[in-house]
Amino acid sequence: MPEKIIYLDYAATTPVDARVAQKMAGCLTCEGLFANPASAHAPGRKARGAVEQARVQVAALVNADLGEIIFTSGATESDNLAIKGAAHFYRNKGRHVVTSRIEHKAVLDTCKQLERDGFEVTYIKPDADGLIGPQAVAQALRPDTVLVSIMHVNNEIGTANDIAAIGAIVHAHGAWFHVDAAQSAGKLPIDLKQLPVDLMSFSGHKLYGPKGIGALYVRSQSHVNLDPLIHGGGHEHGLRSGTLATHQIVGMGEAYRIAREEMSKDVTHCSALRQQLWQALHAEVPEALLNGHPTQRVCGILNVGFPGIEGESLLFACHDLAVSGGSACTSADKTPSFVLRALGRDDQLAGSSIRFSVGRFTTKEEVQTAAHIVSGEYHRLRELAPAAG
Amino acid sequence: MSDPFAGYNDTVRTHFRTPRNAGRFAAGHERILAGSAGQRRHGREVEFQLQVTADGRIGDCRYHVYGCPATIALCSLTSEALKGRTPAEAAGFSVVALADQLGLPAEKRDAAVTVEDAVRAAAGRYNAALAVSPAVPQLQA
Repeated sequence: MPEKIIYLDYAATTPVDARVAQKMAGCLTCEGLFANPASAHAPGRKARGAVEQARVQVAALVNADLGEIIFTSGATESDNLAIKGAAHFYRNKGRHVVTSRIEHKAVLDTCKQLERDGFEVTYIKPDADGLIGPQAVAQALRPDTVLVSIMHVNNEIGTANDIAAIGAIVHAHGAWFHVDAAQSAGKLPIDLKQLPVDLMSFSGHKLYGPKGIGALYVRSQSHVNLDPLIHGGGHEHGLRSGTLATHQIVGMGEAYRIAREEMSKDVTHCSALRQQLWQALHAEVPEALLNGHPTQRVCGILNVGFPGIEGESLLFACHDLAVSGGSACTSADKTPSFVLRALGRDDQLAGSSIRFSVGRFTTKEEVQTAAHIVSGEYHRLRELAPAAG
Repeated sequence: MSDPFAGYNDTVRTHFRTPRNAGRFAAGHERILAGSAGQRRHGREVEFQLQVTADGRIGDCRYHVYGCPATIALCSLTSEALKGRTPAEAAGFSVVALADQLGLPAEKRDAAVTVEDAVRAAAGRYNAALAVSPAVPQLQA
């Protein structure tokens, strides 16, 4: 048994990189950049400088302009601001929004709220691999569609959508295109000078930055307008009022700087570990099923279905691993994952699926141990179970 | 978020990890009563076997179980508790009461009911068999 829990839940959140934590610590105390970045005095201007430096770092990772990055409290707020903000601003133009059935709850619940506000929402069904096809988006568009929101990478299965192709269709139709990139930033190349995307959500804590900070990209050339969610003070071009959290912003900036400089290394590392894990699991459990597209995917997420055993028992048996079960994205919720159900997995297989997500600090030894634990517990539970009828 | 497994005490955890009497009696064993309950598609399936001794008492038990940790632990604990009882006593054994004693959450009551139903189905065969012959026949599910 391992002496400590093996953390394989990087898609849920990542530890803060020590280099990030160091930068953040420099923004908190008397000697640091603690002043209000909106203040005109010298300490305030220094804090403001650090904030703007972070904005440069975030923008650089995705090839955006400085003025296009709005800091928020996280990707959930970014999704809310993008979707509610655009829908409400353009409500007189149209009241139809398109999204998919397997978006993050930050998008789905926001769309549900729009429905309560009088909008109509079309939820596109993914294909069996979890991809949202451009043609499926095209078919969902209506004359009154004002916004399409499709995630770049699915948080449960890691499948990566062709947002360039989807965006081209959305723009040809004259609608705005929002992309939740919480799981793809720093893992897949994103060039917002090239991509037909108007709004893109980012997270700090999915990329070795702190929790409580995120950003929304608002394309300047699109001239897309948003109704703000939070009023008071006019910060961030009036789109997100509130005193800027210098330490959080600086942390996100440093995390994105590191991600940009080390992306190739991180991707190579995570791809190799993910491949090692899948090969080890598949060798020991040949009946294991890969959930999601085999190649069109992000490097660090591996979602595997284990047939013939009950999901809660599998997760409980693997208590030395920090992984996510097939019950939505919260193991406390026993409802089978709506993402896996949308892919056509039955309740049993959706319930007995595990999302493994590796990251910068995962080791080969951890992956090897994890595969050993999971396959051992799988066979133990399988042996306990009656023969399938 | 609360720990989804917080309702499992050390006893439940131990019996989940190392279930007693799991499996199936080898072919050729005599005086076996078998019963089952639950359906896999509903998340829970239990098959119970009771071996009845010549003096009409349960000498040993076996089971197969598909289900949550509570279901597995309850099968294990029940298999221990049934030894030495008569089939009639086994049929009246309350797995639900056992679950309550273990402090299992109320939502796990269905697990206890499924185990109880499987045991009752097996024990019930003893009574049916006796009505035909005083010797317990081989009754495999």
